[in-house]
Amino acid sequence: MRNYIIRRLLQMIPLILGISFLVFIILSLTGDPFAALMENPRVKIEDIRRLQHQWGFDLPVYLRYFKWLFSIFKGDWGPSLLYPGRMSYDVVMARIPVTLQVMGISFLVALIVAIPIGIYSAVHQYSFADYLVTSLSFFGMSMPTFWFGLMLMILFSLVIQINGMPLLPPGGIMTPGILSEPFWVRFVDRLKYLVMPVIVLAFNSMGPWSRYMRSSMLEVVRQDYIRTARAKGLSERVVIYKHALRNALIPIVTLVALSIPGIVSGAAITEFVFNIPGMGQLTLNAITKNDFPTAMVCLLLIGFLTIFFNLVADIVYAIVDPRIRYA
Amino acid sequence: MARDITTEEAREELISPEEFSYWKMVWKRLRKHKLAMVGMYMLIVIIIICLIGPLIYRVDPNYQIEGPYELLSPGAVDPNGVRHPLGTDDFARDVLARLLYGGRVSLLIGFSASISAALVGAVIGLISGYYGKTIDNILMRITDIFLCLPTIPLLIALASVIGKGILQLIFVIVVFGWMTDARLVRGVILSLKEQEFTEAARAIGVPPSRIMFKHLLPNTLAYIIIGTTLGIGSSIIYEASISFLGFGVQAPTASWGNMLQGAQNYIWRAPFLVFYPGILIFITVLAFNFFGDGLRDALDPRLKL
Amino acid sequence: MKDDILVQTKDLQTFFYTDEGVVRAVDGVDIKISVGETLGLVGESGCGKSVTSLSIMRLIPWPPGKIVGGEIWFKGEDILKKSEEEMRRIRGSQISMIFQEPMTSLNPVFTVGYQISEAVLVHQDVTEEEAKKRAIEMLDLVGIPDPEKRYNEYPHQMSGGMRQRVMIAMALSCNPDLLISDEATTALDVTIQAQILELMKDLKRKIGMAILLITHNLSVIAEMADNVAVMYSGKIVEYSDIKTIFKSPQHPYTYGLLSSIPLVTKKRVKGEKLPIIEGVVPNPYHLPTGCYFNPRCPYSTKICREEDPKIEEVAPGHFVKCWNYLKPGMGV
Repeated sequence: MRNYIIRRLLQMIPLILGISFLVFIILSLTGDPFAALMENPRVKIEDIRRLQHQWGFDLPVYLRYFKWLFSIFKGDWGPSLLYPGRMSYDVVMARIPVTLQVMGISFLVALIVAIPIGIYSAVHQYSFADYLVTSLSFFGMSMPTFWFGLMLMILFSLVIQINGMPLLPPGGIMTPGILSEPFWVRFVDRLKYLVMPVIVLAFNSMGPWSRYMRSSMLEVVRQDYIRTARAKGLSERVVIYKHALRNALIPIVTLVALSIPGIVSGAAITEFVFNIPGMGQLTLNAITKNDFPTAMVCLLLIGFLTIFFNLVADIVYAIVDPRIRYA
Repeated sequence: MARDITTEEAREELISPEEFSYWKMVWKRLRKHKLAMVGMYMLIVIIIICLIGPLIYRVDPNYQIEGPYELLSPGAVDPNGVRHPLGTDDFARDVLARLLYGGRVSLLIGFSASISAALVGAVIGLISGYYGKTIDNILMRITDIFLCLPTIPLLIALASVIGKGILQLIFVIVVFGWMTDARLVRGVILSLKEQEFTEAARAIGVPPSRIMFKHLLPNTLAYIIIGTTLGIGSSIIYEASISFLGFGVQAPTASWGNMLQGAQNYIWRAPFLVFYPGILIFITVLAFNFFGDGLRDALDPRLKL
Repeated sequence: MKDDILVQTKDLQTFFYTDEGVVRAVDGVDIKISVGETLGLVGESGCGKSVTSLSIMRLIPWPPGKIVGGEIWFKGEDILKKSEEEMRRIRGSQISMIFQEPMTSLNPVFTVGYQISEAVLVHQDVTEEEAKKRAIEMLDLVGIPDPEKRYNEYPHQMSGGMRQRVMIAMALSCNPDLLISDEATTALDVTIQAQILELMKDLKRKIGMAILLITHNLSVIAEMADNVAVMYSGKIVEYSDIKTIFKSPQHPYTYGLLSSIPLVTKKRVKGEKLPIIEGVVPNPYHLPTGCYFNPRCPYSTKICREEDPKIEEVAPGHFVKCWNYLKPGMGV
């Protein structure tokens, strides 16, 4: 087991290098970010030239990549261009807590809803509830997130109003002036801003998850060992919730672990629509406004998370399935 | 209900059983799938509307009415006496016309991108699966790298760079969408490789390219079809996302995605501008998903995609 | 005591309702098993033998299957009238079943020992330790070496033969009165098969249970069964004790089955072909009129094509469902 983990960790290295290279190439296509600074009267030409040299923009692409790689090893991710005066790494890190809140809550909500309804749907196959759940899952998978977000905003901020004030705030992350309030007030305030983005993100994940839960359960329930369990005289409850579920959850655990990086990168558009100052929004801004160093940090972070959660998924799978644990 | 037949008929049945064609069986299974049928009818309606609609409703989607006639509500009549069933947008263009033409664009992009990605993926999977060993290793590593890339941000990055337009958009979607089909086809090829007919073909000297394209590829057809159908939905959403952020289809050409981009700034004054393109995207993708799901069950019920 | 009837089905009917029509999987079946008897239930794939056994256990899944008629008497009670809760108490403790595929019949995420203990805990009021002890006893009884260690192993760590032994241990852990063995040895190697059959005979002697032995393998029947019932297309076509069935089968189907066994000892004429039964099992959606077997029967006559034969007792304890049953002495 330990050897397996070590082997996988070693395999991660070329993967990360590969990703970083590809991402670098793609971003480099956007051209020299420093050239845009020439327009800015506050920045001196010598500084621009220095930055260009430092970042290797006087070199061909592949050499530039190694130069960048080298500075990464020294821990220098470069200055942020969107936020002059701050290092890109710090800019990104400062934004992580907000994204974590949005993502984390969405993740939990999606999980808490998707698993039980998937099980119910499988156990009561072909019933009305099953069709309802299946349809809703498809809705979740087919709805463009940004549109859903906009529609929710229209509903809760425009259509539903109390005393002329929107029920839920249409974007942003906090009411101005809230920071001086006590913790409890700030907490509730934050929740109000999170409701809609969480609904959007959770609904998007719930769709595929509940479907997979349902199909996993359906597949397990057909197995021979379930027939054996019934023949043993176990109650239907025990057969479903102990014997079947335990097996059906195995692929789901993997699936959920693998979905996590997707939620992070998918949250980007949702953050954009709701104007939430999180990492996703920063990524989009950095890319569209040519803040090369910051964009690299963001993209690599997501790439790294993807690889990391791939590994986590495999490890958890090995723990949870005795066939792999005691191969 | 079972019916009793005479012995003669029973004897005959023993000798010449009913012939089942593969595609007939697939169609039969598909018909039983209620959601898939719903999806199929929805798709037929949508496609017909987008293809024929503009011929019936002859309004120019790019014509901007002179004067301050932006953001007219649905059903309003403009000074030329033209009725706008779905209103006008921020450039005083008729919304319904833009929806119909935009539908053509979005559907076209969705379909082309999806089938291209499926084909590219299939070829890569085919080569990878057939040759195995080093080539397989390298190709699969590359696939892994691509799979770990954050799709949406990079889609935007690439789109912002290689220029805006339909072909470029399709290209971008294919770059980030070929991997699933590659893996799928590779898996199928790997299992087919073990079967005897490949050995036999090799033994009588059939060249590899012919084995790949004439013998192995047709067996993967079912999976390619499924991959394409399910991929159209996500391609349409990608197109919408990219256009929404300003990088895909450019004005004045309409697409459902870029209509939403324009609508963003007016969600308080004219929410209907947000509603219509979005609901069409939603319904179309939903229909493709319903249909694709049923298709997958019909083509191979054992498939665990 | 030997005449005590343990299980008896009367005109049992189990149908399956599918999109293509109704399948009359079990269509009027009468069987009986006495205490301590081994009844062999023989027939080709799809003739309804498994469905009969699942019906006795009341494990027919609805949809699409349903027991639509008849009675099943167990220890003097009609179990078709019992509630699901009462049935649950019978399954696994008074009637147990073992299945064909040992590779997939055990839950892969629980240890082998736990699955046996579970059966004990569900039916008997004992502590976990006592259940574990009993499970280890059973593992030992079925011939698994080092049972304490094996208790904590997972099914995938065992071979097919061992898993089948575990299944038997699980099935017998509560000392059932009836063991249903549904093709339990079909998926095993011949040598393992012999071991498992020996084990079953041995345990039967020790515990005194009855066995419903379902198989399409006639040599297994020859070795294990006291009485034999032959099934075809959902009906019993012949029933007798083991000796009579092999020496003087009366139904043409039984005769056909027995003749098609290639015997090493039988004298062969050069160029003689192995006798077969022509044709295939009838399509359950398109059953023939009259006797279901008539399209394939070399002795069929007009009445066979028109009327379903009645069951006749051609000799004491020997029942045949045929218009033209063969005369005694025409044995294999």
